[in-house]
Amino acid sequence: MIKKLTILLLIGFLILQFFGPELPEVINKNPKDLITNNPDIPEDIKTILQVSCYDCHSNETTYPWYSNIAPVSFLVARDINHARDDLNFSNWEDMNKLDKASALDEITDVIIDDEMPMAIYTAMHRGASLSDQQKELLVSWTEEFSDQMFD
Amino acid sequence: MKLQITMKNLSLLLSITLSVIILMSFTNKNKAVKTYELSEVNYTVPNDVQEIINNSCYGCHNSDSKSKKGKMKLNFDKMSTMKVGKRVGKLNKIHGVVEENDMPPKKFLKKYPEKALNEEDSKKLASWAIEMASQYINE
Ligand code: HEC
Ligand code: HEC
Repeated sequence: MIKKLTILLLIGFLILQFFGPELPEVINKNPKDLITNNPDIPEDIKTILQVSCYDCHSNETTYPWYSNIAPVSFLVARDINHARDDLNFSNWEDMNKLDKASALDEITDVIIDDEMPMAIYTAMHRGASLSDQQKELLVSWTEEFSDQMFD
Repeated sequence: MKLQITMKNLSLLLSITLSVIILMSFTNKNKAVKTYELSEVNYTVPNDVQEIINNSCYGCHNSDSKSKKGKMKLNFDKMSTMKVGKRVGKLNKIHGVVEENDMPPKKFLKKYPEKALNEEDSKKLASWAIEMASQYINE
Protein backbone atom coordinates (compact mmCIF):
# COMPACT_ATOMS: atom_id res chain seq x y z
CA MET A 1 0.00 0.00 0.00
CA ILE A 2 2.67 2.50 1.07
CA LYS A 3 4.86 1.41 -1.79
CA LYS A 4 2.08 1.98 -4.32
CA LEU A 5 1.34 5.40 -2.86
CA THR A 6 5.00 6.39 -3.06
CA ILE A 7 5.21 5.34 -6.69
CA LEU A 8 2.03 7.24 -7.48
CA LEU A 9 3.38 10.36 -5.82
CA LEU A 10 6.65 10.02 -7.67
CA ILE A 11 4.85 9.75 -11.01
CA GLY A 12 2.72 12.76 -10.12
CA PHE A 13 5.86 14.70 -9.24
CA LEU A 14 7.50 13.81 -12.54
CA ILE A 15 4.44 14.77 -14.56
CA LEU A 16 4.24 18.06 -12.66
CA GLN A 17 7.68 18.99 -14.00
CA PHE A 18 6.21 19.40 -17.49
CA PHE A 19 3.74 21.99 -16.23
CA GLY A 20 6.11 24.12 -14.19
CA PRO A 21 5.94 27.89 -14.77
CA GLU A 22 8.52 29.86 -16.67
CA LEU A 23 10.64 31.75 -14.16
CA PRO A 24 10.72 35.56 -14.57
CA GLU A 25 13.39 36.65 -17.00
CA VAL A 26 16.91 37.57 -15.86
CA ILE A 27 18.34 40.77 -17.39
CA ASN A 28 21.84 41.76 -16.37
CA LYS A 29 22.17 45.12 -18.11
CA ASN A 30 19.78 47.65 -16.60
CA PRO A 31 20.55 51.27 -17.51
CA LYS A 32 17.85 52.59 -15.13
CA ASP A 33 19.18 50.65 -12.15
CA LEU A 34 19.42 52.36 -8.73
CA ILE A 35 23.00 51.37 -7.97
CA THR A 36 24.31 51.93 -11.51
CA ASN A 37 22.93 55.48 -11.54
CA ASN A 38 23.91 56.43 -8.01
CA PRO A 39 27.60 55.68 -7.57
CA ASP A 40 27.61 57.69 -4.31
CA ILE A 41 25.55 55.11 -2.45
CA PRO A 42 27.83 53.80 0.34
CA GLU A 43 29.39 50.39 -0.30
CA ASP A 44 27.78 48.74 2.74
CA ILE A 45 24.33 49.84 1.57
CA LYS A 46 24.98 48.54 -1.95
CA THR A 47 26.00 45.21 -0.45
CA ILE A 48 22.89 45.00 1.73
CA LEU A 49 20.61 45.73 -1.21
CA GLN A 50 22.38 43.35 -3.58
CA VAL A 51 22.69 40.48 -1.13
CA SER A 52 19.32 40.76 0.60
CA CYS A 53 16.92 42.37 -1.87
CA TYR A 54 18.11 42.20 -5.48
CA ASP A 55 17.26 38.53 -6.01
CA CYS A 56 13.58 39.45 -5.81
CA HIS A 57 13.44 43.21 -6.38
CA SER A 58 15.53 43.52 -9.53
CA ASN A 59 15.92 41.92 -12.95
CA GLU A 60 19.21 40.42 -11.82
CA THR A 61 17.79 37.39 -10.05
CA THR A 62 20.18 34.53 -9.33
CA TYR A 63 18.05 31.39 -9.27
CA PRO A 64 19.21 28.51 -7.08
CA TRP A 65 19.04 25.07 -8.75
CA TYR A 66 15.91 23.98 -6.90
CA SER A 67 13.89 26.94 -8.13
CA ASN A 68 13.39 25.10 -11.43
CA ILE A 69 11.74 22.15 -9.74
CA ALA A 70 7.96 22.16 -9.41
CA PRO A 71 6.23 22.83 -7.06
CA VAL A 72 8.97 25.12 -5.69
CA SER A 73 9.10 26.86 -9.07
CA PHE A 74 5.48 27.99 -8.70
CA LEU A 75 6.24 29.73 -5.41
CA VAL A 76 9.45 31.30 -6.65
CA ALA A 77 7.84 32.60 -9.86
CA ARG A 78 4.92 34.07 -7.95
CA ASP A 79 7.10 35.79 -5.33
CA ILE A 80 9.51 37.28 -7.83
CA ASN A 81 6.72 38.58 -10.05
CA HIS A 82 4.99 40.18 -7.06
CA ALA A 83 8.24 41.59 -5.74
CA ARG A 84 9.24 43.15 -9.08
CA ASP A 85 5.74 44.58 -9.52
CA ASP A 86 5.91 46.32 -6.13
CA LEU A 87 9.50 47.52 -6.29
CA ASN A 88 12.09 46.92 -9.00
CA PHE A 89 15.48 48.50 -8.37
CA SER A 90 16.40 47.81 -12.02
CA ASN A 91 13.78 50.39 -13.10
CA TRP A 92 14.55 52.93 -10.37
CA GLU A 93 15.20 55.92 -12.62
CA ASP A 94 11.84 55.45 -14.38
CA MET A 95 10.16 56.76 -11.24
CA ASN A 96 9.60 60.45 -10.53
CA LYS A 97 10.92 61.98 -7.30
CA LEU A 98 7.64 61.60 -5.48
CA ASP A 99 7.36 57.90 -6.24
CA LYS A 100 10.99 57.41 -5.27
CA ALA A 101 10.28 59.08 -1.93
CA SER A 102 7.31 56.77 -1.40
CA ALA A 103 9.36 53.70 -2.32
CA LEU A 104 12.15 54.69 0.09
CA ASP A 105 9.60 55.28 2.80
CA GLU A 106 8.10 51.84 2.19
CA ILE A 107 11.53 50.28 2.48
CA THR A 108 11.92 51.95 5.88
CA ASP A 109 8.56 50.58 6.95
CA VAL A 110 9.18 46.97 5.88
CA ILE A 111 12.62 46.94 7.54
CA ILE A 112 11.37 48.40 10.84
CA ASP A 113 8.47 45.96 10.77
CA ASP A 114 10.76 43.01 9.96
CA GLU A 115 8.68 42.08 6.90
CA MET A 116 11.64 42.03 4.52
CA PRO A 117 13.63 40.16 3.35
CA MET A 118 10.93 37.47 3.30
CA ALA A 119 11.44 34.81 5.96
CA ILE A 120 11.20 31.96 3.44
CA TYR A 121 14.13 33.53 1.59
CA THR A 122 16.42 34.05 4.57
CA ALA A 123 15.71 30.47 5.64
CA MET A 124 17.35 29.33 2.40
CA HIS A 125 19.88 32.18 2.11
CA ARG A 126 21.36 32.60 5.57
CA GLY A 127 23.66 35.39 4.47
CA ALA A 128 20.68 37.50 3.41
CA SER A 129 19.18 38.09 6.85
CA LEU A 130 19.98 41.51 8.25
CA SER A 131 21.66 42.21 11.57
CA ASP A 132 20.23 44.97 13.76
CA GLN A 133 23.16 47.13 12.76
CA GLN A 134 22.49 46.57 9.05
CA LYS A 135 18.82 47.41 9.56
CA GLU A 136 19.75 50.69 11.24
CA LEU A 137 22.20 51.51 8.46
CA LEU A 138 19.61 50.81 5.79
CA VAL A 139 16.89 52.83 7.51
CA SER A 140 19.06 55.90 8.03
CA TRP A 141 20.28 55.65 4.46
CA THR A 142 16.74 55.53 3.02
CA GLU A 143 15.80 58.65 4.99
CA GLU A 144 18.94 60.52 3.99
CA PHE A 145 18.76 59.49 0.35
CA SER A 146 15.15 60.63 0.22
CA ASP A 147 15.91 63.99 1.87
CA GLN A 148 18.71 64.63 -0.63
CA MET A 149 16.17 64.72 -3.46
CA PHE A 150 14.43 67.74 -1.91
CA ASP A 151 17.40 69.82 -0.77
CA MET B 1 -13.17 71.44 54.35
CA LYS B 2 -14.33 75.01 54.24
CA LEU B 3 -13.41 77.19 51.32
CA GLN B 4 -12.75 80.76 52.33
CA ILE B 5 -12.59 83.68 50.02
CA THR B 6 -9.14 84.93 50.75
CA MET B 7 -6.77 86.96 48.65
CA LYS B 8 -4.76 83.80 48.07
CA ASN B 9 -7.69 81.77 46.75
CA LEU B 10 -8.84 84.64 44.60
CA SER B 11 -5.49 85.15 42.97
CA LEU B 12 -5.23 81.41 42.34
CA LEU B 13 -8.63 81.43 40.65
CA LEU B 14 -7.63 84.41 38.57
CA SER B 15 -4.40 82.88 37.35
CA ILE B 16 -6.17 79.62 36.44
CA THR B 17 -8.77 81.54 34.43
CA LEU B 18 -6.07 83.52 32.72
CA SER B 19 -4.11 80.37 31.79
CA VAL B 20 -7.21 78.75 30.36
CA ILE B 21 -7.93 81.81 28.23
CA ILE B 22 -4.34 81.89 26.96
CA LEU B 23 -4.38 78.17 26.18
CA MET B 24 -7.71 78.46 24.39
CA SER B 25 -6.50 81.28 22.23
CA PHE B 26 -3.59 79.09 21.19
CA THR B 27 -5.74 76.11 20.23
CA ASN B 28 -8.08 78.42 18.37
CA LYS B 29 -5.22 79.75 16.34
CA ASN B 30 -4.12 76.22 15.48
CA LYS B 31 -7.58 75.34 14.34
CA ALA B 32 -7.73 78.03 11.69
CA VAL B 33 -4.82 76.75 9.61
CA LYS B 34 -2.26 74.38 11.03
CA THR B 35 1.12 75.72 10.01
CA TYR B 36 4.44 74.27 11.01
CA GLU B 37 7.75 75.78 10.07
CA LEU B 38 10.38 73.18 9.45
CA SER B 39 13.59 74.56 8.05
CA GLU B 40 12.42 76.19 4.81
CA VAL B 41 9.32 74.17 4.12
CA ASN B 42 5.75 74.35 5.27
CA TYR B 43 3.30 71.66 6.16
CA THR B 44 -0.13 73.18 6.20
CA VAL B 45 -3.54 71.59 6.51
CA PRO B 46 -6.41 73.89 5.61
CA ASN B 47 -9.56 73.63 7.68
CA ASP B 48 -11.69 71.85 5.11
CA VAL B 49 -9.00 69.23 4.48
CA GLN B 50 -8.49 68.70 8.21
CA GLU B 51 -12.20 68.03 8.55
CA ILE B 52 -12.08 65.38 5.83
CA ILE B 53 -9.07 63.74 7.47
CA ASN B 54 -10.75 63.81 10.88
CA ASN B 55 -13.89 62.22 9.54
CA SER B 56 -12.43 59.53 7.29
CA CYS B 57 -8.80 58.85 8.18
CA TYR B 58 -7.59 60.11 11.53
CA GLY B 59 -9.31 57.40 13.60
CA CYS B 60 -6.89 54.75 12.32
CA HIS B 61 -3.89 56.92 11.50
CA ASN B 62 -2.98 58.62 14.78
CA SER B 63 -0.55 57.94 17.63
CA ASP B 64 -3.18 56.21 19.80
CA SER B 65 -4.73 54.18 17.00
CA LYS B 66 -5.60 50.57 17.76
CA SER B 67 -4.66 49.66 14.21
CA LYS B 68 -0.96 48.89 14.57
CA LYS B 69 -0.45 48.55 10.84
CA GLY B 70 -2.41 51.69 10.03
CA LYS B 71 -0.48 53.73 12.57
CA MET B 72 2.86 52.43 11.36
CA LYS B 73 2.21 53.24 7.71
CA LEU B 74 0.75 56.68 8.30
CA ASN B 75 0.47 58.76 11.45
CA PHE B 76 -1.02 62.22 10.96
CA ASP B 77 0.29 63.30 14.39
CA LYS B 78 3.83 62.89 13.11
CA MET B 79 3.49 64.46 9.68
CA SER B 80 4.55 67.91 10.85
CA THR B 81 7.77 66.76 12.48
CA MET B 82 9.07 64.07 10.14
CA LYS B 83 11.95 64.62 7.76
CA VAL B 84 11.14 66.11 4.39
CA GLY B 85 11.80 63.04 2.22
CA LYS B 86 9.68 60.86 4.44
CA ARG B 87 6.85 63.36 4.48
CA VAL B 88 6.87 63.66 0.71
CA GLY B 89 6.74 59.87 0.49
CA LYS B 90 3.72 59.73 2.81
CA LEU B 91 1.90 62.60 1.07
CA ASN B 92 2.41 60.97 -2.31
CA LYS B 93 0.95 57.73 -0.93
CA ILE B 94 -2.06 59.57 0.47
CA HIS B 95 -2.65 60.95 -3.02
CA GLY B 96 -2.29 57.45 -4.44
CA VAL B 97 -4.66 55.63 -2.09
CA VAL B 98 -7.31 58.33 -2.37
CA GLU B 99 -7.14 58.36 -6.19
CA GLU B 100 -7.38 54.57 -6.25
CA ASN B 101 -10.23 54.53 -3.74
CA ASP B 102 -8.18 52.22 -1.52
CA MET B 103 -8.80 54.15 1.70
CA PRO B 104 -10.68 54.01 4.00
CA PRO B 105 -10.57 50.17 3.76
CA LYS B 106 -13.62 48.65 2.03
CA LYS B 107 -14.34 46.35 4.95
CA PHE B 108 -14.46 49.30 7.32
CA LEU B 109 -16.81 51.22 5.02
CA LYS B 110 -19.31 48.37 5.05
CA LYS B 111 -19.74 48.98 8.76
CA TYR B 112 -19.39 52.76 8.70
CA PRO B 113 -20.62 53.97 5.31
CA GLU B 114 -20.74 57.56 6.61
CA LYS B 115 -16.91 57.58 6.72
CA ALA B 116 -16.62 57.19 2.96
CA LEU B 117 -15.19 60.07 0.95
CA ASN B 118 -17.63 61.65 -1.45
CA GLU B 119 -16.32 62.76 -4.81
CA GLU B 120 -15.70 66.34 -3.77
CA ASP B 121 -13.87 65.44 -0.56
CA SER B 122 -11.85 62.84 -2.38
CA LYS B 123 -10.69 65.44 -4.91
CA LYS B 124 -9.92 68.00 -2.20
CA LEU B 125 -7.86 65.55 -0.16
CA ALA B 126 -5.99 64.17 -3.16
CA SER B 127 -5.08 67.56 -4.57
CA TRP B 128 -4.00 68.86 -1.17
CA ALA B 129 -1.68 65.86 -0.76
CA ILE B 130 -0.09 66.10 -4.19
CA GLU B 131 0.33 69.89 -3.96
CA MET B 132 1.88 69.59 -0.50
CA ALA B 133 4.27 66.95 -1.81
CA SER B 134 5.16 68.78 -5.02
CA GLN B 135 6.11 72.07 -3.32
CA TYR B 136 9.31 70.39 -2.15
CA ILE B 137 10.48 69.66 -5.66
CA ASN B 138 12.95 72.21 -6.96
CA GLU B 139 14.28 71.16 -10.31
C1 HEC C 1 12.23 36.20 -1.56
C2 HEC C 1 11.98 37.39 -2.27
C3 HEC C 1 12.13 38.73 -1.58
C4 HEC C 1 13.24 39.29 -1.01
C5 HEC C 1 14.62 38.66 -0.85
C6 HEC C 1 12.86 40.63 -0.60
N1 HEC C 1 11.55 40.87 -0.92
FE1 HEC C 1 10.53 42.60 -0.68
N2 HEC C 1 8.84 41.75 -1.43
C7 HEC C 1 8.77 40.44 -1.89
C8 HEC C 1 7.39 40.17 -2.31
C9 HEC C 1 6.88 38.86 -2.83
C10 HEC C 1 6.67 41.37 -2.09
C11 HEC C 1 5.19 41.61 -2.36
C12 HEC C 1 4.44 41.31 -1.12
C13 HEC C 1 2.99 41.41 -1.33
O1 HEC C 1 2.56 41.87 -2.39
O2 HEC C 1 2.28 41.01 -0.40
C14 HEC C 1 7.62 42.34 -1.56
C15 HEC C 1 7.28 43.64 -1.21
C16 HEC C 1 8.20 44.59 -0.80
C17 HEC C 1 7.89 45.98 -0.59
C18 HEC C 1 6.53 46.64 -0.77
C19 HEC C 1 5.74 46.49 0.48
C20 HEC C 1 4.41 47.17 0.41
O3 HEC C 1 3.88 47.50 1.48
O4 HEC C 1 3.89 47.37 -0.69
C21 HEC C 1 9.05 46.57 -0.20
C22 HEC C 1 9.23 48.05 0.14
C23 HEC C 1 10.08 45.56 -0.13
N3 HEC C 1 9.52 44.37 -0.50
C24 HEC C 1 11.37 45.79 0.21
C25 HEC C 1 12.35 44.81 0.31
C26 HEC C 1 13.70 45.06 0.76
C27 HEC C 1 14.24 46.42 1.20
C28 HEC C 1 14.36 43.87 0.72
C29 HEC C 1 15.79 43.60 1.14
C30 HEC C 1 16.18 44.00 2.46
C31 HEC C 1 13.42 42.87 0.22
N4 HEC C 1 12.21 43.49 0.00
C32 HEC C 1 13.72 41.54 0.00
C33 HEC C 1 9.78 39.53 -1.98
C34 HEC C 1 11.07 39.73 -1.52
C1 HEC D 1 -10.40 51.50 9.59
C2 HEC D 1 -9.10 52.05 9.69
C3 HEC D 1 -8.57 52.94 8.56
C4 HEC D 1 -9.12 54.11 8.07
C5 HEC D 1 -10.43 54.76 8.47
C6 HEC D 1 -8.17 54.60 7.08
N1 HEC D 1 -7.10 53.76 7.01
FE1 HEC D 1 -5.43 54.02 5.83
N2 HEC D 1 -4.69 52.23 6.48
C7 HEC D 1 -5.30 51.40 7.41
C8 HEC D 1 -4.49 50.20 7.54
C9 HEC D 1 -4.81 49.03 8.47
C10 HEC D 1 -3.39 50.33 6.67
C11 HEC D 1 -2.28 49.32 6.42
C12 HEC D 1 -2.71 48.45 5.27
C13 HEC D 1 -1.72 47.42 4.90
O1 HEC D 1 -0.60 47.79 4.55
O2 HEC D 1 -2.07 46.25 4.94
C14 HEC D 1 -3.54 51.62 6.02
C15 HEC D 1 -2.65 52.12 5.10
C16 HEC D 1 -2.70 53.40 4.58
C17 HEC D 1 -1.68 54.00 3.74
C18 HEC D 1 -0.40 53.32 3.30
C19 HEC D 1 -0.70 52.49 2.07
C20 HEC D 1 0.47 51.71 1.58
O3 HEC D 1 0.35 51.12 0.52
O4 HEC D 1 1.52 51.69 2.24
C21 HEC D 1 -2.10 55.25 3.42
C22 HEC D 1 -1.37 56.27 2.57
C23 HEC D 1 -3.41 55.44 4.06
N3 HEC D 1 -3.74 54.31 4.74
C24 HEC D 1 -4.18 56.58 3.94
C25 HEC D 1 -5.47 56.71 4.45
C26 HEC D 1 -6.32 57.84 4.17
C27 HEC D 1 -5.93 59.04 3.33
C28 HEC D 1 -7.50 57.60 4.82
C29 HEC D 1 -8.74 58.47 4.83
C30 HEC D 1 -9.29 58.82 3.56
C31 HEC D 1 -7.38 56.33 5.53
N4 HEC D 1 -6.13 55.83 5.26
C32 HEC D 1 -8.35 55.75 6.34
C33 HEC D 1 -6.45 51.66 8.11
C34 HEC D 1 -7.30 52.73 7.88
